[in-house]
Amino acid sequence: MDPINFTFLCAEPAMPIGRSVGIIGAGPSGLAATGYLSCLGYQVEVYDKLPKPGGLMLFGIPGYRIPKERIDAGARQLERQGGVIFHTHTKICCSGPLHDEEGDHFCREILGFGDMIKKHEAIMICTGSWRSRKLCIEGETLAGVFSGLEFLFPIRAVKYSAPNVKLPDVAGKRVAVIGAGHSAVDVAHSAIHLGAEQVFHLYRRTMREAPCGVYEIEQLQAMGVQWLDRTTPVRILGQDRVEGLEISRPGAHGPELTTLPVDIVVAAIGETATPPFAKELGLENVRKGEVRWLHMTAIENVFVAGDALSGPSKIGKAVYSGLRAARSLANWLDLKAQDRLDAYDYNDLVVNDAGFRS
Amino acid sequence: MSGQKTLYIDYSLCIGCETCEYVCRFTNDTSRIHMTRTRDGVMVPLYCRHCENPKCANACPRGALKRDKDGAIVLQPMLCRGCQTKNCILACPYSAMFETDRGVMVAKCDMCAQRRQVGMGPACVEMCPCAAIRYVERDEIPDLETEKSRQACEKVMEHLKLPGK
Repeated sequence: MDPINFTFLCAEPAMPIGRSVGIIGAGPSGLAATGYLSCLGYQVEVYDKLPKPGGLMLFGIPGYRIPKERIDAGARQLERQGGVIFHTHTKICCSGPLHDEEGDHFCREILGFGDMIKKHEAIMICTGSWRSRKLCIEGETLAGVFSGLEFLFPIRAVKYSAPNVKLPDVAGKRVAVIGAGHSAVDVAHSAIHLGAEQVFHLYRRTMREAPCGVYEIEQLQAMGVQWLDRTTPVRILGQDRVEGLEISRPGAHGPELTTLPVDIVVAAIGETATPPFAKELGLENVRKGEVRWLHMTAIENVFVAGDALSGPSKIGKAVYSGLRAARSLANWLDLKAQDRLDAYDYNDLVVNDAGFRS
Repeated sequence: MSGQKTLYIDYSLCIGCETCEYVCRFTNDTSRIHMTRTRDGVMVPLYCRHCENPKCANACPRGALKRDKDGAIVLQPMLCRGCQTKNCILACPYSAMFETDRGVMVAKCDMCAQRRQVGMGPACVEMCPCAAIRYVERDEIPDLETEKSRQACEKVMEHLKLPGK
């Protein structure tokens, strides 16, 4: 299969120009930025906690949606033609305690942020959104409760022989999936494939409003998934593990409470961004454009792009963000190399640029 | 018409991630492919097929839409006067001509004409994570179709009114 061509901006490899850039995170935004910079002749080194480049394209989205071979080939092309160096199993410390996010168990090496800044002329943070949103209901900490990512990630990751990764034990069990995005659909699909006895799929609004669309839900129903819309989880029942899920559905006289007999609850209700040092780097200001240079953080040679900056989104938006940040980074280094940064008018905020929102 | 290239999207492979749209925007400033979806959730990137019988070109009174050597229907801004009739936009059965706020106020896919001149292919094709969009010879399309792609295509076509069909 043809590679996803991250170096799509150049027909052939560029001449090295002797500049080194570090990119933290090998997801869509990180790899897009890598491709852009490698086309300019930069030596790019990419750091990722996971055993392979691709990020959530590889470890979050099932292979039948995005072919693994295409991403692998794309990364290989970056390595061979673009001279990109991938440091896998490597985490750049640290936004929270280790093992706080999915995929942390893969880390063999932890590098400090300060070392990175010294090693490279500039770095870009493309760490994405890896922390799962919580339901915030009673019983959420019981064994048998998963987030969408906690459930899906091991299914992909187990193929990379990580010692601490175990497939969710679903065979013969009853599963409740909460949410109606594509991740929720993927969870329901996977649960069926892993031999779940019964799968309930809960959504707080109607089928028509489901972000994944009616078509996907109909396909799930055809596989035997029981769809429950206008349904909200109230609390998770059980002593030390899930024994049931109390739900609220609209009845003839207002909301009615019932209990679903389930052993596993998966809340696929989205993720939040997990950038390292969000406060210190002033990421909120970067997001709003209240900075002097596009995608630049409070540390001048540190840039940020993708979901780490703007929260969970689509691959396309992450790619675009990575490309724009890479262009901005290269422009800045060019000016700096000529010692002309003073000449640039730092007075105007990025948010006032015509191109910022487009 | 043989030997002519066009774009082909297998709707059953598209996951609606918008990579095509954003890569196009980065490459061409204004995107010439636009992600949308049917009510029932089939992802539909609106894109130019560089038709054998291009309605947009027929509708343009100035002849500003011409086919180039590879088969792309290319908008020539020097002939387009940005007229208010928007005949070309109205004529396209695939909603693949886009109104913009720049230049002649119309944007359309030219299969990355400038990239093709230096030996590269359309950017969207290079970057689609799913390989759902292909840069192919028109004659190849029937071989690329599958049972699933035809089903998805039928679902999409329920929402498009093709003239004369």
